[in-house]
Amino acid sequence: MTELSHIDRRLHASRIASYVVMAVSLIVLLFPLAWLLATAFKSRGEVFMVPPTWWPRQPTVEPFADAFTPTMLRFFFNSILIAALTAVVSTAIGACAAYAIVRLQHWATNLVLLFFLGSLAFPLPLLMITLYLLLSRLGLIDTYPAVVVGHVILTLPVVIWLLKGFAESLPVEVEEAAYVDGAGVLRIIWLVVLPMMRPGFTAAAIYVFVTSWNEFTFGLTFTTSSDMRPLPAGITLLFLQEFQYQWPQMMAVAATATVPILVLFLAFQKNFVEGVTAGAVKS
Amino acid sequence: MSYVFRQHRLAALLLLMPALLFAAAFLVYPLGNGLWLSLTNASALRPKAKFVGLANYTYLLSTSEFWTVIFNTIVIVGGAIALSTAVGLALALLVNRKLPGVALFRAGIFQIWIVPWISVAILWGWIFNADYGVVNYLLMDVGLIRAPVNWFADTTTARVVIILGFAWRMIPFMMVVSLAALQTIPAEILEAAAVDGAAPMQRFLRITLPILRPMLVTLALLQLVKLFQEITLPWILTQGGPVNATTTLSLYTYKLAFQQWDYGLAASAGTLWLILLSLIALVAVRLTRRRYQ
Repeated sequence: MTELSHIDRRLHASRIASYVVMAVSLIVLLFPLAWLLATAFKSRGEVFMVPPTWWPRQPTVEPFADAFTPTMLRFFFNSILIAALTAVVSTAIGACAAYAIVRLQHWATNLVLLFFLGSLAFPLPLLMITLYLLLSRLGLIDTYPAVVVGHVILTLPVVIWLLKGFAESLPVEVEEAAYVDGAGVLRIIWLVVLPMMRPGFTAAAIYVFVTSWNEFTFGLTFTTSSDMRPLPAGITLLFLQEFQYQWPQMMAVAATATVPILVLFLAFQKNFVEGVTAGAVKS
Repeated sequence: MSYVFRQHRLAALLLLMPALLFAAAFLVYPLGNGLWLSLTNASALRPKAKFVGLANYTYLLSTSEFWTVIFNTIVIVGGAIALSTAVGLALALLVNRKLPGVALFRAGIFQIWIVPWISVAILWGWIFNADYGVVNYLLMDVGLIRAPVNWFADTTTARVVIILGFAWRMIPFMMVVSLAALQTIPAEILEAAAVDGAAPMQRFLRITLPILRPMLVTLALLQLVKLFQEITLPWILTQGGPVNATTTLSLYTYKLAFQQWDYGLAASAGTLWLILLSLIALVAVRLTRRRYQ
């Protein structure tokens, strides 16, 4: 009896310790985010106060109104368009390839898979030199397709890897049964395979969207006019110059840039984790 | 059946074509041409390129600047991976218990994950600002420093700030994957060790860590490849300064190609980067294998 209560007490103590550690880690790790939000709603005078105010005394949305000029809205529009386009293209090409790799099961297709995974380590600036020359010859520099090509390069290997996992779990018997019933190959892929792979598409598309939204260098290099800039490049080249030291405005933009990803996260939490960890975790 | 099967294989082959064509045009060709350019003096400012052999490589390897860049890359990327792995694993151990409220904690940590790199860069510039940054204020308040630190002006502190930025953003990812790995360890093993009188620390060092090691090495390599490419933070926070202290290999190669327009030199820097990555991967794989034999 005494033995048990002793264990009980120790368990209790270790629980309390766990909660304390959790609370401290949350406070430390989330502090930068809280500070981002707090600053975004401060007035010009309040942001430079010493000691700083932990929460805006008179919250104002002025920083947002200042920062969101038509140019800034254009950057957001460009990034959303590019990320959505990349998600469609990368997921489509990747899904076809993943299914083919699983069904062909040939050493050559495994080599293709290996090449794609290895390509993740190819230095981007090295590829970008030739891509830049190629895209300028095609007259595609400063267009959306140029940036989309770059972002497909980044994401296609991971999409193939992710969807290969899904394709492997498809029972081949279902397809065979459809053959026996007289369905053609295209019909089977359209009516049997595609619907079964849909959860994989969601995870892959989320991964692609998030990666494209984050990407900086392709957007910076393959666009030249401010009308075509994706968000990170636009912020760096125009906004940060124009709004230097106007911290509330800068934080307003930094906070808003997380919104599309936040929406994706809230809408598809499970697929989001699956997609962004890219198959490293099977949830 | 065999006829249908052949038809199926043909269809599968067709489905593979878009990916193959994409790879040929946008991966194989740029890589091959890049390797070729590294042997020339190609430049956007020069109409005709000339074959120069290994001159670009010998030039790069003979400058102290290049070695500084390699050093920066290893310190910054290595530091960020070590820090985020340690914190991520610690948080995963914390969360790997059936305590009420753990889901809330995880959801909280996930918020860091959704912050785009560009926002991390802007935010880090503000909290580490020399005059009005909250980090200086807090450190002075608790008495750790007397005067405000100009974080971005000193080589060491500038590197530390970049490492913290990288690590902070990667912690949620490391926590999630570490947790998934922890959950593959059968509880019976740890319980048996506990019954045999192994202390928690002993159990962690002798059982959990060895089981996790191969996964941790794989993850570290994945992060290595990713962080070698990451350019946003140093670009916005320090532009590679002060005196090149935060110029990583990616920033250096990028600047050679698209600011100095020296394609030949940039291509050879890129090739050396690829070689360095391969060497690190080879050593890492070797090390983990030997431990298991």
